[in-house]
Formats: sequence, C-alpha cells, structure tokens
Amino acid sequence: MSISHDRPEASGRQGPVRAPQSLAGGIFLIALAALALWLTRDLSRGTLSAMGPGMLPDWLAIGVGLCGLALVVLSFLKEGEVLERWSLRGPLLVIAGILAFAVTIRPFSLGGLSIPGLGLVVAGPLAIIIGGFASPDARLRELVVLSLSLTPFCMFLFGDLLNLPIPIFPQAFADLFPAGWSQKDVLRATAAALIAAAVVVYFAGGRRRATNEIDVADQGGRL
Amino acid sequence: MGDFLSNLTLGFGVALTPLNLGLAFLGCLVGTLIGVLPGVGPIATIAMLLPITFGLDPTGALIMLAGIYYGAQYGGSTTAILVNIPGEATSVVTALDGHQMARQGRAGVALGIAAIGSFFAGTVATLVIAALGAPLTRLALIFGPAEYFSLMVMGLVFAVVLARGSILKAIAMILVGVLLSTVGTDLETGEERMTFGLQFLVDGIDFAVLAMGIFGIAEILRNLDHTEHRDVVRQSIGRLLPNRDDFKQSYKPVLRGTFIGAVLGILPGNGAVLGPFASYTLEKKLARDPRRFGRGAIEGVAGPESANNAGAQTSFIPLLTLGIPPNAVMALMVGAMTIHGIVPGPQVMTRNPDLFWGMIASMWVGNLMLLVINLPMIGMWVRLLKVPYHLMFPAILMFCCIGIYSINSLPTDVMFIGLFGFVGYMLIKFGFEPAPMLLGFVLGKLMEENLRRALIISRGSMETFIDRPVSAGLLAVALILLVLALLPTVRKGRDEVFTE
Repeated sequence: MSISHDRPEASGRQGPVRAPQSLAGGIFLIALAALALWLTRDLSRGTLSAMGPGMLPDWLAIGVGLCGLALVVLSFLKEGEVLERWSLRGPLLVIAGILAFAVTIRPFSLGGLSIPGLGLVVAGPLAIIIGGFASPDARLRELVVLSLSLTPFCMFLFGDLLNLPIPIFPQAFADLFPAGWSQKDVLRATAAALIAAAVVVYFAGGRRRATNEIDVADQGGRL
Repeated sequence: MGDFLSNLTLGFGVALTPLNLGLAFLGCLVGTLIGVLPGVGPIATIAMLLPITFGLDPTGALIMLAGIYYGAQYGGSTTAILVNIPGEATSVVTALDGHQMARQGRAGVALGIAAIGSFFAGTVATLVIAALGAPLTRLALIFGPAEYFSLMVMGLVFAVVLARGSILKAIAMILVGVLLSTVGTDLETGEERMTFGLQFLVDGIDFAVLAMGIFGIAEILRNLDHTEHRDVVRQSIGRLLPNRDDFKQSYKPVLRGTFIGAVLGILPGNGAVLGPFASYTLEKKLARDPRRFGRGAIEGVAGPESANNAGAQTSFIPLLTLGIPPNAVMALMVGAMTIHGIVPGPQVMTRNPDLFWGMIASMWVGNLMLLVINLPMIGMWVRLLKVPYHLMFPAILMFCCIGIYSINSLPTDVMFIGLFGFVGYMLIKFGFEPAPMLLGFVLGKLMEENLRRALIISRGSMETFIDRPVSAGLLAVALILLVLALLPTVRKGRDEVFTE
C-alpha cells in the first residue's frame, strides 16, 4: 500500500528512462552482485556432491545481478515510479548521532585519535541531541530536557535494575565521589542530579503556548 | 483429547505463576505502547529489549517477547481508529472504516469491537496452536534435509507473492537476504567468506543488528521524510460496548476473519500480514451493500482485526513445531531462544514441554489482559499520541543504541545499525521492501546447511528434491504459486487487495 508514493505522471518527463526508481535500484543490485563476486573470487566452488564455500554465494550473486539487469532493462521499457525526494539532513545527523554514541560509550581509538570511555551519561545525550536535529521541528531546549530525563531513566533501568554490563560514566568521574560510595550510589546520585537539571531547564525557558497540531510519522502501512 | 487437556493444564500451571503473569503483563503493556505509537514497530522493539531478557529464565523471556508482539497488534488498531494512522502495518485496513466510525462519534464502538474480535480470535488461535502443535511436530520428525530445504523455498516464494509492489524486486530482496546470510565463516570448511578481513564479521552479520538497522533506523530516516502535521486532539470516544445490533452485524465477520487469519498465519513466509486485507476484501464481497465500506461499516473493523490477531498468533506454529521462523519477529524469537540454549524445532515440545505449553497458555492469558489494558485504559493511550515525532525518534534512537550495544558490548555493532539503517533507507527509496530481505537472511543459513546436507546424501544429484514425494509436493506448491502470482489477471487482483 503506497499511500505516500505519488503516481508518476505519464507526461512531462524527458529522456529514454521511463522508471528512474527501477533504474537506480537495478544499478544498486548489479553493484552489490559485482562486489560479492569479487569478494568470493578466491573461494573454491566445489562440486554439487561436495559444495565448496564459494558456490552458494556465487549463485546468489549471479541471481541478484540478473534481477538488477532485468530491472535496468525494464526501466527503459515500462513506465514506473520516479525517484523520491532525498534529504541529506536526516540520514547525516541520525548516523552522526549513532556514531557519537558508538565512539563515546567506551574507550575508542582509531589511528591517532583516541577517546576515553565516557559512558552512557555522555553517549546518551549526544545521540539524542545530535540525532534529534535530523528533524526540522527540532528545538535545542526540548532535546536537552529530553536527554536529561531519558538518560537517568536508562541509567537506572539498565545499569541499576537490570545490571547490564553497560558503562555508565567515566572512571575519573566515579573517583570524584567519597571513597565509601559504591558504583550504584554514584549512579543513583548522578541520575537524581540529571533529573533535577531537566526540571530546571524545563521551567527556565518559560512555557511555549500549547498547540494541538503535532508532527506524526505516517507509516503508510509499512512494517 | 486427554493429552490436549493435560497439556493445557501444564501450560496454565506455568503461565499462571506470579512471575510469568507479571512478565506477560509487562510484555502486553510494552506491546500496546509501541502498537499505539506510530513509527515504532515490534521488530525494533524486540531487538531493543533482547538484552533485558538475558537475566530471565527462557520461558519468562519468551512469554514477555510474545506479549510484545501480539500486544502491538491490539495497540495498532487504537491509533488507526482514532487518528487514521496505522500504528502498525497490519492495522492499515482498520483505519479505513474504523476512523470513519470515529468521525461519526462511534470511536468507542469501533475500539470495542476491535478488542472483542481480537480477543475471540486470540482464544481460537491459542486452541489451534495447542491442537496442531503435537501432530505438526510429529510431521517434522520425518522431514529430512531435502524436505526442509523445499519447505523453506516454499516459504520464501510465499514471501515474494505476499510482498507489495514488483515481484522482481521482492525476488531480488530475498536473494540479497540469503546472500547476506552467507557472510562469515563457512561452517563446513572454516573458510572466511566476504568478511573484508574484518574480525567482527567472522561470525557473520548479527541478526539483531541487521533487523534494528533495517527496521529501527531506516524507519526513522524514512519517517523523517514523511512526517505530517495533524490535529490529534481528543474527540469524545463514546460508549465502548457495542450494542445488540452491532454484535449481530459483526459476529459473522469475526468468525470468518478468525478463520482466514489463522490459516494464513500458519503459512511460512509471513502470511499473517495478508489476513486483514483478505478479510476486508471478503467482507466487502459478501456484504449486501458494499458501498457502506469505507464509510464506517462495523464489519470492516471486526473482520480484519480478528484476522490480524489470529494470524499474529498462529504464526508461532511454524517456529514452535518446525523451527522455521515465518517472519522477522519470529526470527528474533529464535535469537531469544538461542541465547538461552534452546534450539527451536520439533524437539522443543518434547524437551521443554513447560516452555512450549507455558507460552501457548500465556497467549490466552495475555489476550485477556489486553482486553483490560485496552478498553478501560484507552484514555491513557490516547494521551500518548500527543507525543510529537520530533521528540519520539531521538528517544527511539537512544534505546536502539543502548539495546544493540548491550547484546555484545561491541561499539562496532552500534556503528553497523547506522550503516544498515542507511542501506535500508536507500532500498526504501529504490522501491524495495525490506521485509523479504530479512526473511531471506533468517532462512539463509538453515537453507544452505540443508541444501548441502541433502546434496551430500544424494551424492550431488539435484533430483533428490524431486524424487522425495514430500519435497516434490512442497516445491510444486511453490512453483504453482509463483506462476499464479505472475499471471496478469491474478496480479491485478493482488494489486487491488493491497491498494484497497
């Protein structure tokens, strides 16, 4: 059910390509098949009675390539969908948010760059705030409040209640607390402080006039 | 019959322990929550919550995860009826007539009949699973590698036929999925395949990572292009209980919907998603006045909702009896079982009878809980709809990151959900459906294993798949389906069902 796709208009399009979406998809599949064939070039195929590790991937890659080829050919013959609008802001910022989480959650080094493990207390807000700006409706203050309230919730849920082995804060931070404090005491104190900060930020900026119009995701029947 | 009753008694004994009751309730609650919220689906949620189940015993873990899945089916209809947005993919059909009923001030009745129909369907489906479990398990024991391979081929063909849009694209997605499953160490020779020499690819691509990338992150990226500004202010819901006339109009659709959904749900290849569409089309055909449909016909809510819930539950049958997950959610269940050292398949019933029957009994208990969670507490769920998407998706993003990191404690897993998310976004833009790819990935490893085994036994002769009657039968069904789907007239009908 493609509510969101506009029906392509038959007129008003130039050139021999009649289904740009299929053409792009076909090229993508052919590239993928070529990559797979190149990667498995050294693996033995074997025989049917004793299949080698390379046989099935090769067959599959050829199948994928043929599908791609068919899509490319069909895109010149049959009318089809146009390519949808691409936005760069969404993917870029969401992926940046994910990467920020990945490199700060525990010690990370790549080449000359190394980041100490900062734990969930830094990684969580980074993911929310950087990722959050992917939406044109984003407002910094709202995202700060969200991150200041969700992070302690997750710290408490995953670190305290469920005891998952996820780093919560940098070791240097825990050393700031009196020696008698256990990891969990530090966790709870930090969570409480974050929530207090969230409340302060929430009330500091004055309240916005409430509207009934909000943005909702239109899934259009996708799984 | 005696067996049937004693098995159910055993099951209820397990399901009614306080811990398992609590977990079922928690699962149903979370399920309803994500069902109500558009933009969060059960696949991403179950992948996020997998680490939480590490500390639980396997029965409790599966009871909770199952609750999330069928709970989401209930919750999805709430959003469909009240705001005309399907909370879950399967409630698209409910939005057609359900929302019209809401605009006529009969939102409560629509919600009521959806919940009651779902409960009835859930009850029947539970009994179907309990009744079919044992015979199908015995059937599975006579399956050899050739039969398993053919069965999975049939499942994938089903997935192709049931996918929306171009059949060619669906086939391509299945092949890509199987291809992705061959990444990693070859089980028989120990050689690395397509790993780029990277350490974390040696064990293959983690299913949870792929699923969360494709269904969690890619979905966020897609939704960001498709957010709408809507007025979701609460209208009055009206009375919840349908009256005698409503019942009279809807009991037959409920019965038919339950039957259709239950049958389609058993099919490998995600037949469950077709249930609501098929039921809606059937009701429209049978109705004395088809013009009422789309204008608030109660049958258009009762039938599809029942089909939806029945299918969601019977889709556990292939997993529990044959060990073959029919859709992505069930594949995550496989993951949850494997984490706890349980190999899905016919042996689950004999080796872990308390898990098997406990889970089945918990489904009925869960359905009862959902009735309570959904009807009297409807106001609370409606209020949740006021959370705007620009605040919801950063939260989902963080939960995804934490969830995937907790599974293996690997930052590379977190990066990979970003990568797969972007690939999934590209696929969506190119008009591919990601669901068949995930199914291909899930079945890929099993298929390769069984294919190679079958060919070793037959000494390289492909005829083994045709010589063995069961295998030949399954392949024939697959072939007939594929040919039928490609016939122009059937294709037109298929497209009509999906664009209704």
